[in-house]
Amino acid sequence: MSAHPSTLAPVQFEPAPEPAFETPPAAPTRRRLRPSHILGGLGLLLLVSLPIPFGDFGFFVGQYGAIYAILGLSVIVVTGYAGLISLMPYSFAGIGAMITAVAMASWGWPMWLAIPLGAVATIPVSILVGITSVRLKTLYLAIATLTFADVLGETFFKWDRITGGETGWLLQRPKLGPIDLTSDATFYVVCIAVVFLLLWMIEGLRTSRLGRAMLAVRDNELEAQALGINVYKTKLVAFVISGLIAGIGGGFLAVLLTSVTRSAFQSPLAQATSLLLVTLVAIGGIDRAIGAFFGAVSLVIQQQIFQGADFFFRFVAVYAALLLILFLMFRPGGMVQVGKIQLDLIRRRPIVGIAIALFFLGLNVGVAWLFLSLSS
Amino acid sequence: MTTTNGLSPATRNGQLPKPVLRTRDLTLRFGGIAALDEVDIEIRPREILGLLGPNGAGKSTLFNVIGGFLKPDHGRVLFQEDDITYLLPYERVAAGIGRTFQHVRLFRNLTVYENLLVAQHRHLTSGSFAAMLRLPSWRRDERVARERVETILDQVNLRPWRDARPTEISYGTTRFLELACVLSLDPKVLLLDEPASGIQQKEVEALGPMLKRIRDERGCSIMLIEHDMGLLLGTSERIYALDFGKVIAEGRPDEVTSNDRVLESYLGRTRRDTSVA
Amino acid sequence: MILAGQPVAAVTVFGLSSGAVFGLLALGLVLIYRTTGTLNFSHWAIGILAVVAYAILTGSGVNPQIAVLLSIPVSMGAGVLAYRLVFRRIPRSQHIIVVLISVGLAQLFSSIAAFALGFEQFTRIPAWLPATDYHLFGITFKSVDLITMAAALAIAFGFLIWFRRSQAGRALRAVAQNREAAMLAGIDDVRYSSIAWGMGSGLAAVALLLVLPHSAGDRGGLITTFQVTPFGTLLIPAFGAALIGGLVNLPAALIGGFVFGLSHELLVLAPAPWSNLRGAIAAILIVLLLLMRTERFFASRQEIEALEA
Repeated sequence: MSAHPSTLAPVQFEPAPEPAFETPPAAPTRRRLRPSHILGGLGLLLLVSLPIPFGDFGFFVGQYGAIYAILGLSVIVVTGYAGLISLMPYSFAGIGAMITAVAMASWGWPMWLAIPLGAVATIPVSILVGITSVRLKTLYLAIATLTFADVLGETFFKWDRITGGETGWLLQRPKLGPIDLTSDATFYVVCIAVVFLLLWMIEGLRTSRLGRAMLAVRDNELEAQALGINVYKTKLVAFVISGLIAGIGGGFLAVLLTSVTRSAFQSPLAQATSLLLVTLVAIGGIDRAIGAFFGAVSLVIQQQIFQGADFFFRFVAVYAALLLILFLMFRPGGMVQVGKIQLDLIRRRPIVGIAIALFFLGLNVGVAWLFLSLSS
Repeated sequence: MTTTNGLSPATRNGQLPKPVLRTRDLTLRFGGIAALDEVDIEIRPREILGLLGPNGAGKSTLFNVIGGFLKPDHGRVLFQEDDITYLLPYERVAAGIGRTFQHVRLFRNLTVYENLLVAQHRHLTSGSFAAMLRLPSWRRDERVARERVETILDQVNLRPWRDARPTEISYGTTRFLELACVLSLDPKVLLLDEPASGIQQKEVEALGPMLKRIRDERGCSIMLIEHDMGLLLGTSERIYALDFGKVIAEGRPDEVTSNDRVLESYLGRTRRDTSVA
Repeated sequence: MILAGQPVAAVTVFGLSSGAVFGLLALGLVLIYRTTGTLNFSHWAIGILAVVAYAILTGSGVNPQIAVLLSIPVSMGAGVLAYRLVFRRIPRSQHIIVVLISVGLAQLFSSIAAFALGFEQFTRIPAWLPATDYHLFGITFKSVDLITMAAALAIAFGFLIWFRRSQAGRALRAVAQNREAAMLAGIDDVRYSSIAWGMGSGLAAVALLLVLPHSAGDRGGLITTFQVTPFGTLLIPAFGAALIGGLVNLPAALIGGFVFGLSHELLVLAPAPWSNLRGAIAAILIVLLLLMRTERFFASRQEIEALEA
């Protein structure tokens, strides 16, 4: 209350009403263990334990999951925080990937400059889409982003000097001083570090002036304006931050795959992958940063691991889509919400709660084990 | 500072102070119907001003034009002699105009505490990158915001509902939360659209003295739309009566309620309304 | 493009036939949006289910014409199930959730389609319309194009007449105009919304069955991996066509289909930079239509608010 302590302090309002049907919730207790910690821990455990059974393939899958988590974070900002449906996150990633690739393969830039360049290159598109988003409601914005992905695919990604024509670019993972990124294990550690850095940043955004403005705009644009929030600026910032993160993710994707071709970012594959990203994030929990991490890591890893198990690999897409619909219908907060409910249960009835948690954890591990043993 | 004779403090000194907010020839048509028809009103510093009129007289439309949610066809809105007709809503909040809505809106997915944090927006300055990197400017902002919210939570006695969402508390309580949010903006002019609708009679009776106290302590002007006649006439120091988008009378509450045109429009319209209902 | 260099008339015929297909897809989209307030992003994916059924049926030796009749109900069933099991249970006011769910359904149906086709890069399917070339004034008309156009127009007009004249059509229009009043008048909201989903999905199935089995000319058609992606290759122009009618007007959506089909094909004849930018031009046109808020021209304010609320 530093701004107007003297004018505010003496105001005494009438006591707030005390309706009979309403019992005030218990005084807030400071929680030490939050669902986000558990999900983050589980996801990290999953990532770190991958190389143990799978060796080098485990490193690759881990990198892949981590990069999808970065791309998922871009969905968190724009859709989870600001409530703007964007069906083009993968197109932003494509811009990042292409610019990073052309800078490294053709202009000879070092990776640590090429990836930021790729991220910055998304800004003009972010601003264009952001301006459009100001004028369009949810439904129409969904169509608009779908079409923007098409426009990019037909214009930017057809620009041969940037995208290298049909063949695309081949690039080599660099050595940054003592850090040798040609080694999968090193790149894997770098990817995980970047994910956690971005996760920390996006979670911080939520408890800040602009992050709260985004949440407010998502809930009620009119009220947000009435409370002095610049809705235009908020939407633009959401798209720009989201684009930057997707650009970074795309840059890392290019370095991971070492080969980038434009067809992945053209219609209809671009929209299909964007949709997959939204799905991963919505299953994890769309309005918390950790949701993107957990959703992406758990599902991408499953998908990649079951690549060996032909039948189950194919089944993953059906399974993810079903999961998405069920989650949106019954637990729109995704795994984060499930984790919270479970944690509350454990607090109230520890034995039952822990038993249920262990049961489902065991079920998952068991099913995964079954899938894997069937495939080998 | 209490007003005993129904006149605002400044008026008692015998001279009219410069209005803090006034409108000039505001006109707005929806289709062929004039929602506002050359409305000239002014509100003086530290004044509680009432707007009287039957449903559809243009009171809420006037609020929407002053708040920047609707653009007038012609006419101007002047705030402290600055033309704000074409400013956006958030720019008007920054200038010092705060408003509530007829139907409580708020943010349903945020807790009471978070709703109040959102309302501190204009007092904060840090950017998004400061927050993402946890820079000192972000820390300072968060401290300011939290301190302000903690204070106001106690002032409006909302602390027991701190972590509840607006959907989990009674309608009356959300009214108080909305008021707390608007007061957090430190407005110079407060536009309240039917603050008493939908709340219990006991709370309605408390509202009048509370509004006067807010005015006295904060020195702001309050503009009030209210269908509860007791509250409107008992609280307002001056009243404009509107009908069909026109100002048909202006003056002290007793003057306005004895005005023939007001009686005619009000009773006439009331009779029509009841026959429809 | 095979057609490049051919005279305007031949390109026009091809454009009209693909326009008819866009129009049919758009009619389905508009029907569902207007009556239930859900913009169906899974429209293409639901339609592709019928094509997959057709592929499986013809693959197991069923006569193609009979297979068409058997496979259209697959899409209709999927649409009705999507409404009954999912959309009916989600409050319409939760816009973000509704859009995400319809996007999720698109993914579900397209992955089921890919699954059923065994993840082949290409699946060859036989044609079911006769293929002959007619020569008139030195121009070659393909019978498939002519039949597609005629069939699409016949179905569209039949549908429009049904919508205006039949009992069910009148009930649907009542639901579209004022849901509460329709329910008070004793119209079974759920039943008629199911009909709208069934009819709309059926239209999508017909559109895709007209175009995909004939995509490779005389040799029948191909289902590629591109077509089993959630939004397929034609859903975006179909959105554009529906937007010409503001997502609410059925005849305008049909005309919109022809606008998109014709402009897409006629641009082939345009000079170099433009003919390559066909896709981009169509997409930019869609964004412009969105920004124009075309629904204003076709529906009253109250109706739009009811749909968007």
